[in-house]
Amino acid sequence: ANQQAQAYYSGGGGAAVQQPSQDTQPAQLFTPGGGDIQQQQQPMTQLNQQFSQFGVSQQHPQLSNQRPSANSTNLIGLHPNPNELENDPPAINLPPNATLSQSPTANAHPSFKRSTLNVIPTTQSLINKLKIPLALVLTPYRSIETGEDPIPVISDTVISRCRRCRTYINPYVTFLEGGTRWKCCICNLSNEVPQMFDWDPHTNQPADRFKRAELNNSVVEFVAPSEYMVRPPQPPVYAFLIDVSYTSIQSGMVATVARTILETLDRIPNDDGRTKICLIAVNHALHFFNLPPNSSDPNMLVVGDLDDPFLPTPNDLLVNLAECRAGIDNLLTNLSDMFINSSGPESAMGTALKAAVQLTSPFGGKIMVMTAQLPNVGQGALKNREDIKILGTSKESSLLQPQGGGFYKNLAIDCSRSQISVDMFLFGSPYQDVATLQCLPKYTSGATYFYPGFNASRIEDALKLAHELSVVLSSPIALEAVMRVRATRGVRMSEYHGNFFVRSTDLLAMPTVPIDQSYCAEITLEENLNVPFVVFQTAVLHTTCYGERRIRVITLSLPTSANPSEIYASADEKAIVTLLANKAVERSQSSKLEDARDAIMNKVVDIFGQYKAIMTAGGGASAQLMISDNLKHLPLLLLGLLKNVGIRQSSHIPSDLRAYAQTLLTTLPTQSLIPYLYPTLYSLHNMPIEAGTLSEDGLRLPPKLNLTIEKFERHGLYLIEDGQQIFLWIGRDAVPQLVVDVFNLPSLQDLRPGKITLPLLDNPMSEKVNGIVNKVRESRRGPYKPHVYLVKEDGDPSLRSWALSLLIEDRFEMGLSYTQWLSTLRDKINSGSYN
Amino acid sequence: FVVEDVEERDGIRLSWNVWPSSRIEATRTVVPISALYVPFKEREDLPPVLYEPVTCKACRSILNPYCQIDVRGKLWICPFCLSRNAFPPHYKDISNTNLPAELLPKYTTIEYTLSRPVQVPPIFLFVVDTCLDAEDFQALKETITLGLSLLPPNALVGLITFGTMTQVHEIGFNACPKSYVFRGTKDYSPGQISSMLGITPRSTTLPSQQQQRPGQLHGAARFLQPVQDAEFQLTSILDNLSRDPWPVASDKRSLRCTGAALSVAVGILENSFPNSGARIMTFVGGPATEGPGMVVSNELREPIRSHHDIERDSVKHFKRATRFYESLAKRASSNGHVVDIYAGCLDQIGLLEMKSLSNLTNGALVLSDSFATLIFKQSFQRLFEKDEFGNLKMGFNATMDVQTSKELKVSGAIGHLTSAQKKSACVGETEIGVGQTSAWKIGSINPRTTLGVYFEVVSPAGQPVQQNQRGLIQFITHYQSSSGQYKLRVTTIARNFADAGSPAIAGSFDQEAAAVLMARIAVFKAEIDDSPDVLRWLDRMLIRLCQKFADYHKEDPTSFRLSENFGIYPQFMFHLRRSQFLQVFNNSPDETAFYRHILNEEDVNNSLVMIQPTLMSFSLDGQPQPVLLDSVSIKNDVILLLDTFFHILIWHGETIAQWRKANYQDQEGYENFKELLTLPISDAQDLLADRFPIPRYVVCDQGGSQARFLLSKLNPSTTHMSGGIYGSQNAAGQAIFTDDVSLQVFMEHLKRLAVGASTS
Ligand SMILES: [Zn+2]
Ligand SMILES: [Zn+2]
Repeated sequence: ANQQAQAYYSGGGGAAVQQPSQDTQPAQLFTPGGGDIQQQQQPMTQLNQQFSQFGVSQQHPQLSNQRPSANSTNLIGLHPNPNELENDPPAINLPPNATLSQSPTANAHPSFKRSTLNVIPTTQSLINKLKIPLALVLTPYRSIETGEDPIPVISDTVISRCRRCRTYINPYVTFLEGGTRWKCCICNLSNEVPQMFDWDPHTNQPADRFKRAELNNSVVEFVAPSEYMVRPPQPPVYAFLIDVSYTSIQSGMVATVARTILETLDRIPNDDGRTKICLIAVNHALHFFNLPPNSSDPNMLVVGDLDDPFLPTPNDLLVNLAECRAGIDNLLTNLSDMFINSSGPESAMGTALKAAVQLTSPFGGKIMVMTAQLPNVGQGALKNREDIKILGTSKESSLLQPQGGGFYKNLAIDCSRSQISVDMFLFGSPYQDVATLQCLPKYTSGATYFYPGFNASRIEDALKLAHELSVVLSSPIALEAVMRVRATRGVRMSEYHGNFFVRSTDLLAMPTVPIDQSYCAEITLEENLNVPFVVFQTAVLHTTCYGERRIRVITLSLPTSANPSEIYASADEKAIVTLLANKAVERSQSSKLEDARDAIMNKVVDIFGQYKAIMTAGGGASAQLMISDNLKHLPLLLLGLLKNVGIRQSSHIPSDLRAYAQTLLTTLPTQSLIPYLYPTLYSLHNMPIEAGTLSEDGLRLPPKLNLTIEKFERHGLYLIEDGQQIFLWIGRDAVPQLVVDVFNLPSLQDLRPGKITLPLLDNPMSEKVNGIVNKVRESRRGPYKPHVYLVKEDGDPSLRSWALSLLIEDRFEMGLSYTQWLSTLRDKINSGSYN
Repeated sequence: FVVEDVEERDGIRLSWNVWPSSRIEATRTVVPISALYVPFKEREDLPPVLYEPVTCKACRSILNPYCQIDVRGKLWICPFCLSRNAFPPHYKDISNTNLPAELLPKYTTIEYTLSRPVQVPPIFLFVVDTCLDAEDFQALKETITLGLSLLPPNALVGLITFGTMTQVHEIGFNACPKSYVFRGTKDYSPGQISSMLGITPRSTTLPSQQQQRPGQLHGAARFLQPVQDAEFQLTSILDNLSRDPWPVASDKRSLRCTGAALSVAVGILENSFPNSGARIMTFVGGPATEGPGMVVSNELREPIRSHHDIERDSVKHFKRATRFYESLAKRASSNGHVVDIYAGCLDQIGLLEMKSLSNLTNGALVLSDSFATLIFKQSFQRLFEKDEFGNLKMGFNATMDVQTSKELKVSGAIGHLTSAQKKSACVGETEIGVGQTSAWKIGSINPRTTLGVYFEVVSPAGQPVQQNQRGLIQFITHYQSSSGQYKLRVTTIARNFADAGSPAIAGSFDQEAAAVLMARIAVFKAEIDDSPDVLRWLDRMLIRLCQKFADYHKEDPTSFRLSENFGIYPQFMFHLRRSQFLQVFNNSPDETAFYRHILNEEDVNNSLVMIQPTLMSFSLDGQPQPVLLDSVSIKNDVILLLDTFFHILIWHGETIAQWRKANYQDQEGYENFKELLTLPISDAQDLLADRFPIPRYVVCDQGGSQARFLLSKLNPSTTHMSGGIYGSQNAAGQAIFTDDVSLQVFMEHLKRLAVGASTS
């Protein structure tokens, strides 16, 4: 039946039955990840893939003591296979006996911590020579998926640490003197094993230390005793700052936010009933709510003194969620109506933030700002500085730098000191100044969410906001955290990227640690390494939202080598791109967007040029563009970065959209960043029969297609998604049956382009398309619920253009096609001094 | 001519009812020509006059019985400026037998109800201290709630509370209790206040699509609502009002931002309802301890200032606070707004600093120990007394103009008023009280409001005014009545001039009115000068008056005689000298401010009671009788009833007290004793009946500690110093421990000085 339906969806007036387009590589239909000749030449990689599919770590040291060498591949004329982007990074091949554990989880999974090079060069000059940046990508609080094992917790408070470098005991230490001492794998100091190390406090029996979690797992969590507390564990605190200016009320933002918070109250982390909440409504004044326990009547206190904000009462502004629930419910139920007469475009959000900091600073916690208005009165008032004349020019980057004389950065630092992090939910249009406001999340480990043109009367807008806000609110958060990365002597973290504040040279302050945010740490070698492997240990001291002080420890061990071939073969192209995305954004803000783009180009030219010089015989001009096979997507991903809204050369990108894209580029975990740079494209009208059906591993997705219009048929239906939005592209010759089956409308003419809610209809095609859309939404880490936009090939030009901008293998505006990009790289390398 | 009749009819008492005809002679008569005028005198007999007054086109004086009229020519001649005015067309039927009321001799006082309607009903803005103990706070909330029911239904009401901060309650907001909070430490400008409250448009860039919703409240209407609509809401706000939530350490006073709160209150009304009747009713439970108008710091170890501290000029906040409240008071007054102060506190609240608020706006001042006392509760309710038509006995936003005929000029006025800056031709050179104007603003008038107005005689180049010529004064009071109309009360008086030396002048002296008018000048001076200077001035004036009007032989004190209508004037002066109005050191600065305020409010009779309290004696031997305010009146077998206006005191002589303790009054056969005990009580109730504020009521026994109130008021004819002035050790009465001279000694000195004898 499905074959018949597909026949219907073909072009040609429905009479002629057409086979699926020959453009689609047949192999992809059945065996994602296979079918590539290059791939088949590398049994090792293949094997690793299989292991990873079975959930077995490919990093098991016993499996391979031999490290692979680089396999050069010529990219010219090679069609990239998008399905290979799912592949795991090159295996980590530690020397035998590097670890005392046989556990497959003894080394860090890349989703927690990955390195740009899985073999660490032994000298800095070698790193410099290879031109591949050495850095770690950290996602210490990535979400734990259903079915996944929880992170092991060591609750006996026996925490053994190196006396000198404070490293936590881990699978890479060695025991000495009959097991009474252990040698630190980072500084080599011999330490005493704690008395209770071999004791099980639950059974009160001697225990086998080799079964201890911290000796068998790379990622563990210690329950910290009181020495790790400066003060008793703080309760989770949520301060909601809601803009209630005219626009926000009219857009339905306030009502939606209030309703969502109300409906999420039972899921906000509050296991031990200590969670506190406050709400400040903001327009030309600050509206505080006094919520005495056991009273259902909130009492509104308005403060209009914007230059000199203060708390209008000492009590019951920041209240216990459980005790004051009646009042909170009542307040949230009526909030929007209370401000129905709110007039004017003023928002004193800067002042409100000051007040919220004053209110929450005794505890710390999370300030969540919901605003559709530029803060334009009071402290931190901002000007609408958007200037379309300078978009696309060298002055554009000034719009990406914070304005307001450092108010928001200074405030952020105050927040950080008081253990407060700030999340920004921004709804503004035409101009919200995302670039300035995102300072707060940036330095406080918060997050920015952006809903341009939000209007709750569009059900899609309301649902997206409700979904994302409730996910953020109900996520467990780690409080008053500090993160430190320790590494083997001679290895130094030289620079950090991401949302935090660097408190001292190697201590990152993170008032709260959000789920699924990623950070980068660049590495410099201060000494030549003469050890067989290097250990990187990340420790995050934090308070759980149920009041326990804990340390999450993530240990990654990587072998060292002076052999460029081994090093090339170990390079993790996705980690490299993650780092380069961070650096590009920083460059575009500190300098110019074009400098950032040039830097990307230069970096990839350098890497390829050096590879050519070091790894291939051919000096002089070459018709080829050679690189180690594991880096073959690097140009593709970097082209995606160059074409991303955050970086792309264009005079049509409003600076808010750009700034928001840049926050994503610097915070998304690699798993989400890769599709954000190289979106996925599925053909739906002719997908394989089993696509969209359930298997043991969930819904089967169709094979991914290359991001080029060449793949599009005029009668086709395609799905393009980058984790932030989903486009359903329908060709101009799509047959009515397809429109009926998927959209429940009689014909193509009846389809309206734009945000849609996809109907779930009683036919296999509709079920499959819905299934795929849902699967796509679920599979990305993070709280995002992408909108589905319907794009008609012959419809709304701006929407069409937006969708086309995601087809990064094609030319778009000033951006090169993938083929052009490769030729440009090759030409630059040929004209450079790489030989 | 009976002064009491004139007082009854026109609400006026003059120091002189025949006037000296030249400036020099007027100066020699010592007491200036002056009047105590009650503009809101209750006159149930006045006819309703529902037409507009006819005014002189030249001087704006108003047609009155003293005008010459030409019924044929339909003309009238203005007696003030002598202009000829045509009657308006609707007066065409006028004739000698068909005259409008304002021309009838009996209507020298008349009240017009003007046709221009009042745009805004009266406003009552409650400004409530929340730093009170629980009992006080509850009592205050209940009393204010009760007060709401006494207001005209259309009156606008609002609520401001204060403690550490000021809160303006938006009573028009229904979703939940809502208030705007202001820092207590800051003096916000009126512009800031209205912009923070959203009273004035904040921005000109309002979204154009925005429509005014029906029923949506804008501007000040959100804070000031008709009591008939808002009573429920306001009552519930009051019910749920909690005491100031900020913690107070045991060595601290509450932080109380009285000044900031009043500044907000004045600012709201000034911005939204200038020149509309409004009362800011302030309830204060302690001194301002922060922000503008701070009187004392919140450190308990810093005591609140005394008269001695002020005299030594050692009070840190005094001058700044006084200046602050004065400037607020002027702003309120210039907009026709009133500030009342109700203090409920055992200690001082800083009334001395705050007094100008009530003094300049004619606001009420009530001092009580707590808001739970009857003094507070009943005084507060009494403010809302209504007339037979159910209208409040209260006029708002009043202005009084004075017009004089050319021989007289206005020197100034003393009372609870401010200058309206009217520099008309009637303004004289001499300045007494608030001068340099012939019109004054009075925030609110009530039946007790009595204004002292002072005049001087001007006779061109020494030419005396012609004998028997009449001088005229017209008082024109414009105010907003609680019934929602503007009213204009016009009182016109005419008095004859007499030649120097004519006995008519002396014979026309009203010593009671004169004493009160001089007392007002003395207190006005005392507010500015040191009291010794004021006492010397009073003495000098008294001596000069006696020199001028007494019969005596030079240098023979025994020949000194005063005629009856001067007879008790020296005694008034004696008591005035030793009254709390001029001898401040036995009272707190707040009490002094309070006493002086009341003196400037009341009419002749009440003021005389304040100057020279009355003393009634009750005994089993005869009818109750007034007795001398003298220590000789103290006897073991009498009950004394002292009325100082501020205190009503029943004092039982020792014997009476013993009998009472033995409960004779409850035994059969002692009905006469029982009656004796109850008589002064019922008399006291009569005195309490219409007084504002309610006096302190004290019952005490001879020798009891409360008896000192009585002793301090008595003439010390028998002191521990006198050794028996009447030459007898067994004289009746009780020795009073005082260094004050007695009336007798005072009179001896006066006589000697008046006759020019050498003082011994
Ligand atoms: Zn160590
Ligand atoms: Zn005239």
